[in-house]
Amino acid sequence: MRSKFELIFIGVTIAITLVFFVVIGSMFLIPTFDGFINALFSEEMAFAVSLTLFTSLISATVIMICCIPMAYTLARYEFPLKRLFKIIIDLPMAFPEIVVGIALLMFLGSNGIGDYLEILGIELVFNTTGVIIAQFFVALPFAVKTLYSTFNYIDPRYEFVSRSLGYGEIATFYNVTLPLAKKGLFATIIIAIARCIGTFASVLFVGGGILMKTETLAVSMYLNLSTGDIDLSITAGILLVIISFITIAVMEKYAKESYTSSF
Amino acid sequence: MYLEIEDLSVDLGEFHLKNINLNLEKGEYLVLIGPTGSGKSVLLETIIGFYNPTKGTIKLKNKLLNDVPPEVREISIVYQDTVLFPNMDVYDNIAYGAQKKFSKEEVAEKINKIAKKMKIEHILHRNIDTLSGGESQRAALARALIVEPKMILMDEPFSALDVSTQAKLTSLIKNVCKEYKTTCIHVTHNFNDVWNLADRVGVMKDGKIHQLDSTTEVFSRPENNFVADFVGVQNIFEGNIIEISPEVAKIEIGHGTIINSSDIYCITKINKKYKKDITKKKQHDHERIKVLIAIRPENIIFSNEKFESSARNQMKGKILEIIESGPTVLVNVAIDDHIFKGLLTKSSADILSVKKNKEIYISFKSLNVNIISDYERFNQ
Repeated sequence: MRSKFELIFIGVTIAITLVFFVVIGSMFLIPTFDGFINALFSEEMAFAVSLTLFTSLISATVIMICCIPMAYTLARYEFPLKRLFKIIIDLPMAFPEIVVGIALLMFLGSNGIGDYLEILGIELVFNTTGVIIAQFFVALPFAVKTLYSTFNYIDPRYEFVSRSLGYGEIATFYNVTLPLAKKGLFATIIIAIARCIGTFASVLFVGGGILMKTETLAVSMYLNLSTGDIDLSITAGILLVIISFITIAVMEKYAKESYTSSF
Repeated sequence: MYLEIEDLSVDLGEFHLKNINLNLEKGEYLVLIGPTGSGKSVLLETIIGFYNPTKGTIKLKNKLLNDVPPEVREISIVYQDTVLFPNMDVYDNIAYGAQKKFSKEEVAEKINKIAKKMKIEHILHRNIDTLSGGESQRAALARALIVEPKMILMDEPFSALDVSTQAKLTSLIKNVCKEYKTTCIHVTHNFNDVWNLADRVGVMKDGKIHQLDSTTEVFSRPENNFVADFVGVQNIFEGNIIEISPEVAKIEIGHGTIINSSDIYCITKINKKYKKDITKKKQHDHERIKVLIAIRPENIIFSNEKFESSARNQMKGKILEIIESGPTVLVNVAIDDHIFKGLLTKSSADILSVKKNKEIYISFKSLNVNIISDYERFNQ
């Protein structure tokens, strides 16, 4: 027999989740079947899907390479102005994504270091690199935050014991810390990929939102909505939902399996 | 000396170790006791190299360890909650350090040998989350010992175990450490560990070692009021020396209650220190030498009548409280403004028919009245 407390909490959870499901699911009912199929197999949609997946995977990889040492540093080491560094890293999570986009555009464009980079033959805005940079800046703070909690949760005495048994810092990190952080690492990968796939405003600014050049799924939704092509726009939205759902479901299942098999 | 720690200080922001001096012979077993937060674990983790000293030196076999990383020090550590790696089974946990030092064949051979000794052969391929507390602790000990460390540090290794497992592991550790001639520092809150394992005891508080001595010395001759209280002396009174000879000191603890002490060690020290002034001090009450005296409750004898005995201290009081604790009874007796605490067995309590408000005599030998030698610190 469930208590009243339990029933109320379960009820609230189910009700709100159902609202989410209905709102997201209603998008699937908007286009006609023919319109959806035509949009799905259009050249523009194929480009948007491949660009989104390609840039998101590259960004997520770079994010993971950067966020592991960053999160570990913040969790384990003390250094001057550590608190300030933490605030700066967390900052992009607190303000709208558009601010990151404008800041990046200003910094990388001709108002910032753009002219100098141009002399060196490097172009970082209005191209695929720009999309990756925008995704990196938006998703990195979320990844660092998640992995920081994971490292913080691991008892440092596991590392102490490993070192007392003859293993140096790197070997201990590889043999003990990373395996113990496996679940958190998977969660971080999920968050990083999901954030990269869903990044819109900053990608629009830094990538330029150029049709068939820097057109990710999120940008495609916006571009087609502004030109009145509802089928393409909604199809891009549906694909975003499906890709995100599959990413999270697969990663969560894999993370759970590898976690339970190692414990 | 095997381990030499000189003037060691560690600053961890909110916590400090202050001027620790500690020497250990090879094969010696030191037990550290002290209240929670006294710095025992920090001291162990500084010896092993997880914290850097701000001052002082740590030498092992004459080699300065201050800047040597933990992986090179060859010192193992065992924690209360074992800290076995959850992503490895028991075998891999034990093999973890050994495979760094020995060949694969040697590791297998050594694991078999130590598993037999620790009686864990049957659990070698079990996941660590299926182990009982005792099995986990045996595995953790095996993991620490297999690498043949120069020293082993144990941080409350038995605290989470039941009494019978504790007893088994205590005798196991004793035998294994003797056999491997391992030098040990063992942190505990359990006085049984002290009596069963220690060659010497260190009593810590607020990042300092307050007394480092043999078990008997620490328990019978605490150096200050904190140590006396911590090791369970229970009867600690402040008083003034009103008369002193080379053998006996008469100490007034207030309202005419006078206690005789034959603590020769401290009496000699006091006589030496106040040789010139002692007579003068006797003349002026406000200048008398203040001391602390400590009497263990088990040294107090109860009787219903006054009796002739060699005990120089005999007093009459009223029973204030009777506290039963397992097979013993703690009896609090009020004498003037002071409460003396004595221990009786249940059958003795029945024979004496102790009850609240009953008048009773207490006696104790002057030899069992310890003068706390650190009384100057107390007086400041």
